Amino acid sequence: MSEAELNNQEETIPFYPDHVKTEFYVVIGTTVVVMIVGLIGLFMPVGLGEPADPMNTPAHAKPEWYFLFLYQLLKYIPKSAGAVGPVLAMILITIWPFIDRKPDKSRRAYRSRFIIAGVIIIIVIALTIWGEVG
Amino acid sequence: MKKYYRWRRGIITSILVSVVLLVVITSMAHANSATRAQRESDTPVAPYDWTSINALIAETDDPASSITPPPATDPCLHCHIQGENKGLWTPLTRWALFGSLGLVFVLGVYRSATVWKTRKPWKPFTQRSVEWVDERYEISEPMTKILKKPVPKYATRWFYCLGGITAFLFVVQGVTGIMLAFYYKPTPEAAFASIQFIESQVRFGSAIRMVHHWAANGMIVMCIAHMLRVFIMGAYKPPRELNWVSGVVLLLVTLGFGLTGYLLPWDQTAYWATTVATEIAGALPVVGDLALVFLRMGWNITAVTLGRFYALHILILPILTLVLMLGHFLMIRRQGVAKPL
Repeated sequence: MSEAELNNQEETIPFYPDHVKTEFYVVIGTTVVVMIVGLIGLFMPVGLGEPADPMNTPAHAKPEWYFLFLYQLLKYIPKSAGAVGPVLAMILITIWPFIDRKPDKSRRAYRSRFIIAGVIIIIVIALTIWGEVG
Repeated sequence: MKKYYRWRRGIITSILVSVVLLVVITSMAHANSATRAQRESDTPVAPYDWTSINALIAETDDPASSITPPPATDPCLHCHIQGENKGLWTPLTRWALFGSLGLVFVLGVYRSATVWKTRKPWKPFTQRSVEWVDERYEISEPMTKILKKPVPKYATRWFYCLGGITAFLFVVQGVTGIMLAFYYKPTPEAAFASIQFIESQVRFGSAIRMVHHWAANGMIVMCIAHMLRVFIMGAYKPPRELNWVSGVVLLLVTLGFGLTGYLLPWDQTAYWATTVATEIAGALPVVGDLALVFLRMGWNITAVTLGRFYALHILILPILTLVLMLGHFLMIRRQGVAKPL
């Protein structure tokens, strides 16, 4: 978007100080949260488990929560499909803007994308909780 | 002009509040340290006999002993003997407080004298330094152009903050990560003990590790939230395709940070979580074994894996992230943020 284009279609604010100030408030808010987390950490540290022992496999080994849905998926569907699927999905996500090119600003398009994203996220969250509990 | 003063008042208030907070926090840490137990126990710890070190030196045969003799006049002998030694923070706070007051006083005298001598209004130091730099490098004009660039008003809507929070959490991760790297040792023998040392001995070590741990999780959550926002708003559409691609790569790099960082504490949870996480890559049909060996640097997670993960975590991935983030931001700068409905 060029500047001339911007000026005649929308009201604008200068990057500095107006926009920078908003970002500054966001930074301050995040810092406060981070400080509170740190204060909690003074009294309740993250802690450590037993030292690693390659000879001793614990009963319930789980990956980090952001890989848990993949791990859970792999348990119940054929291994190769379960591993190829995410790779293909990742490639699809990466090239998505080259597939969905139509400029569409309608409320309907927003709603359909919202539903797609919501369904995917709910499936992933459900798999994660299942993996965490099961 | 009035606005400027309001800003200044806010800044002064926040400085005062943070000084008070610093004093409170440090005294809290002090109160929880081992000296408290000593102070409150029924049998007070006998004050250390400061003069005994002289006897120790006298006993050594070698005159050029490695023990340096104590200063002839201890700057504060009674502090050690009577247990008045308050550690680092009390003198530091005193120096900062009275030193800055002294500087303010000296500056005031200088300012009054200059105004009286030159009969001209006082020019603030900030303005002087700006003029000094601008005289030499002439950056004020391009800087003004950069800073005054008009931004659409909708760019301050709340849902545009998610990417900014992710970027700021990356900065938090950088700062706390550097702090942890001062104490962490990336070998199977020492890693666990060094984390224990950070948690129990280093001042504020457990707080720093807590922040690093939770900001890492928060960064992944914020990444995904930002991605969903961009997807739902259709902000990836032309002309912003490459911004989306670089964002996906940034998400993958963030997950890489998570994978490599989770192994570093070298406890049972970390070891086996990394084992099963890398097994996911091992399930790929043709290249599975190759991917597994590539990720683990062998069939199992060993000292080599730990070293490689550490190097990836603190060198390769941060550099990659910085480069990608620079591109990401420059593209936003050039194209502007996508318009909401």
